[in-house]
Amino acid sequence: MKSKIAIGIGAIGMMLAMAACSGSPSNSGSDGGKVDLTVWTGFTGGDRPGYAEIVKDFNASHPKIQVTMTVQPWDTIQQKLPSAWLTGQGPDLATPSSDPNAVAQYVKTNSVLPLTNTGSSNTQINVDKLAPGTVTEFTYNKKLYAVPANFATLSLYYNKKAFAAAGISGPPTTVAEFAADAKKLTIDGGQTQFGLALADNQTIQMWPILQWLEGGDIVNAKNCSVVQSAAGQKSLKTWSDMVVNDKIAPVGLTGAEADSLFSAGKAAMEMNGPWAAPGFKDAGIDLGIATIPVGVNGKVTLGSTAPLSISAKTKYPAQAQEFLAYWTSKSVQQKFSLSTGFPPLRTDLSDDAKLKADPVVSVFAAQVPDSRLYLPGVPNATQVDADGYVPLIGQITRGQSVAGSTASIGATINGLTGCKS
Amino acid sequence: MSATATHPESSRAARGGSGSAKPRRVYKRRLSPAILFMAPSAIILGAFVFWPILQSLYYSLFNWTIGAVDQQWVGFGNYIELFHDPHFWNALSVTLIFTVSTVVVVIIIGFLVALLLLRENLITRIVRSIFFFPTIVSLVSIGLVWKFLLDPSIGLVGGLTQLLGITPITWLQSTHLALPSVIFVAIWRNVGFAMVLFVAGLKGVPAERYEAARLDGANNRQLTAFVTLPSIRPTLLFTTLILTIQSFQVFDLVYVMTGGGPLFVTDSLVNELYREGFVNFRTGYASAISWVLFAIIMIISALQLRLFRYNDVD
Repeated sequence: MKSKIAIGIGAIGMMLAMAACSGSPSNSGSDGGKVDLTVWTGFTGGDRPGYAEIVKDFNASHPKIQVTMTVQPWDTIQQKLPSAWLTGQGPDLATPSSDPNAVAQYVKTNSVLPLTNTGSSNTQINVDKLAPGTVTEFTYNKKLYAVPANFATLSLYYNKKAFAAAGISGPPTTVAEFAADAKKLTIDGGQTQFGLALADNQTIQMWPILQWLEGGDIVNAKNCSVVQSAAGQKSLKTWSDMVVNDKIAPVGLTGAEADSLFSAGKAAMEMNGPWAAPGFKDAGIDLGIATIPVGVNGKVTLGSTAPLSISAKTKYPAQAQEFLAYWTSKSVQQKFSLSTGFPPLRTDLSDDAKLKADPVVSVFAAQVPDSRLYLPGVPNATQVDADGYVPLIGQITRGQSVAGSTASIGATINGLTGCKS
Repeated sequence: MSATATHPESSRAARGGSGSAKPRRVYKRRLSPAILFMAPSAIILGAFVFWPILQSLYYSLFNWTIGAVDQQWVGFGNYIELFHDPHFWNALSVTLIFTVSTVVVVIIIGFLVALLLLRENLITRIVRSIFFFPTIVSLVSIGLVWKFLLDPSIGLVGGLTQLLGITPITWLQSTHLALPSVIFVAIWRNVGFAMVLFVAGLKGVPAERYEAARLDGANNRQLTAFVTLPSIRPTLLFTTLILTIQSFQVFDLVYVMTGGGPLFVTDSLVNELYREGFVNFRTGYASAISWVLFAIIMIISALQLRLFRYNDVD
């Protein structure tokens, strides 16, 4: 009987050992001097081939470092990465979120590696040449914790056929024209066509652009809400009135729904990033891309960047940083921009002749100097968005009073950011 | 033969053993293989079910953040905060409305459909399969399909209403219609599940009971109320219990169809738990939500067992 018990315990032990061995999702390792790195990214859109090309070129030019990129939805990364990196079983590198503010959380939990391999040589991350806003965004306590995996601006996509049918000769150039065109392009109160596909949830935010164009904002330099200020209310009211009264856009659209609406030819304009262009072209839209119209205080648009970080527990910090240096290098970024339409994330490519000649890149790149990130450096920015800004837009586009909504949401935002004044 | 005929006590006494020694040895010999057989399941359940449950209770007493160096002890602070959190009360209310509506309607429709499709022939088998089909499809797929169908601009439902000259309805964008729309899809998905269970339960009711009741002058309504329903009480209990637990845990459908919006009108408890745990990274707070949900499900399940007289013997 004792021997049976021993066999039983042994079998269970083996089972557990096998389970433990098979638990690691990461395949990074070293084989005969060759280092294998794993990367998780959330780039599932039309820009995906551009990132795959970077990895492919890196592997071809670095025989001793081989990178495997796994692409999965942002939600999945968000669920798996915190615990995966904590237990040392995650990938060597990852884009933790499409929200640049998410890096703060990983810094707080000591999950990301501070980047030290900075400088101007080919194998170093050239911080001085990266878009300044991105470096500031990813710097905490004077240490850099991520590089921008990309940098995008939002431009105005428009349906040339719809514009021609409405007798409008070209895209709007000022915010006043933008508003007038949105009304003119709305047919049958939106039943036939909406002037604008305007998403307000589960998306990159479009409403801050409208606010900025009208001279309003969300928070000030002290991270205190200004949506309830006179300028804030006016900026929101102008466009929410057009949604409620003129039906220029459907209410409560997600980003994907807004894209579908524009792709189906049921909306004449949409503000979106370069990743959307391939889908719109594939849908057969007679597509035009223009810069965001000039606002009351000048040019402005939303800038967006996804962070690319290294796990604090990677066994190969030097090789991982070399990969980041390659990713952000000049020639790689030039090629990436040309293949995806994204503006370059390096300042030394802003005058690049090839990029300027590209009709798509040139539009997005031209707006980089005027771009602003969404809630950069604001404490609890993710919650400010989910519990503050998204409900605010939801309320006012459903006819609730702008004064009342901004007063109550302003207090919520201040509570989340820790604003004292 | 003589051995089996011998009384155990006398046999034990004849061998001079103590009165309790032998039964204990027999017990041990029988227990050991049992433990070995149970051990793999017990270890897996312990490691992957019971231990995480206890761990989440522990986390709920801290301001726990995955990976943080210091986890701040807050005692019942998370639970106190929870009871002052308007999002929690909203999510609880949404979950209760969803659960009550879904379970009641699914049970009623499932029972009626089962009565209609009780007879065995080719048509009833095909119709039963059609009703059951949504049950085997993942909730995520169902949510995506219905979200597309209900899209007022490019969805089939919107297109049909527009053909009839009616303005397309914003089912999932309206604060009044979003929750009823999600409830409708959940009902559509679960009716087949309830129907199959009820068909099985109804087929198990002895025909003699109906015969006896008819002889006593019972009409169809009385047969259903006093023969059918009491006879399928175990099936009713099982179906109600499973549907209630499933409904309290609703997440996939809400997440895919509305993301908890618009303006939190479809924000279920598990949706809030997900947001706090995986978006805001507040593991301790999310654990507290899960324990409150666990307590609610346990209390309601106990009430249901009591209501359906689980321990009664027919």
